[in-house]
Amino acid sequence: MGFGDLKSPTGLQVLNNYLADKSYIEGYVPSQADVAVFEAVSGPPPADLHHALRWYNHIKSYEKEKASLPGVKKALGKYGPANVEDTTGSGATDSKDDDDIDLFGSDDEEESEEAKRLREERLAQYESKKAKKPALVAKSSILLDVKPWDDETDMAKLEECVRSIQADGLVWGSSKLVPVGYGIKKLQIQCVVEDDKVGTDMLEERITAFEDYVQSMDVAAFNKI
Amino acid sequence: MAAVAELTLLEKSLGLSKGNKYNAHGERQIPVLQTNNGPNLTGLTTIAAHLVKQANKEYLLGSTAEEKAIVQQWLEYRVTRVDGHTNKDDIRILLKDLNSYLEDKVYLTGYNFTLADILLYYGLHRFIVDLTVQEKEKYLNVSRWFCHIQHYPGIRQHLSSVVFIKNRLYTNSH
Repeated sequence: MGFGDLKSPTGLQVLNNYLADKSYIEGYVPSQADVAVFEAVSGPPPADLHHALRWYNHIKSYEKEKASLPGVKKALGKYGPANVEDTTGSGATDSKDDDDIDLFGSDDEEESEEAKRLREERLAQYESKKAKKPALVAKSSILLDVKPWDDETDMAKLEECVRSIQADGLVWGSSKLVPVGYGIKKLQIQCVVEDDKVGTDMLEERITAFEDYVQSMDVAAFNKI
Repeated sequence: MAAVAELTLLEKSLGLSKGNKYNAHGERQIPVLQTNNGPNLTGLTTIAAHLVKQANKEYLLGSTAEEKAIVQQWLEYRVTRVDGHTNKDDIRILLKDLNSYLEDKVYLTGYNFTLADILLYYGLHRFIVDLTVQEKEKYLNVSRWFCHIQHYPGIRQHLSSVVFIKNRLYTNSH
């Protein structure tokens, strides 16, 4: 139930249709139901909504005796046509207690409560299962190109320096020297890192720190394992 | 409804104890009220206005000058237009006019219940009873007004309650 947003044209349209064959929101005398809806309407409805405007002016004439009108005020969503969904409440929970015929909806509250419980149970089950499973460590295999300054650089020393870098989650693999040209060779070295612990930025920083030997360093290949 | 019976109804709804005696006069059964002091009162609306005063419910005759005039106008309408017609076409025109008049009004005078509503209700009752569901929906504003008045405390009395369907069936006709 409800009129939707009574400040919007659509809400007023619903109100207008509702009041076409009624003089009051509820029953045949002005009541708190009228006051509640009246207060929710921001101002006189536009002139083309005859029924809403008529009702508005009529209730306005009761302004002074507003408090003494019979009835008990209910939530705004409790009034109005039964086939319009209540949007005045705070979301899904409110729409449960309207008694319109919802052919495709859930039958009653109990069932949806049951479904909710089941869902939570499953969620908890899933969580615990996930916790028990050993966390999969993401690893990557990286192929690095390390280039020396010139052909006189001691490549054996360079490799030794690179391999001297120790870090948690870093394992050095095989290496080879690849000729680049003019007798210069670069060091191609494989390593396996744990993604969480070692980054390529850190590797680059550490390797280029041996500036006596290393001119530059590239990541030739980066593969997730 | 005979005017005499109608005045008796009105008496009851105004809360008057039955103390007046009416005579029906002439061919058109015009009611005459024999008062204790003063001249006889003749005619439905005259007597009705007298009864309202007797019951100290002057507000039913309208509270402002304009409202009083509107009440008077509708009482006249009731006697001259509603009572005079019995054929279907006339009633249809009457209801159509009334329907458009009532579109922006809750009561005949606007927002106050008056004698005009009571008498027009009594006058229209025999026609409204015979309306089909479709017609009731066609004259939606009249239906709303009529339904409202018949639920007004103390008005309907022994008259049959006219049923109005809550859901609209013929959406195109309105």
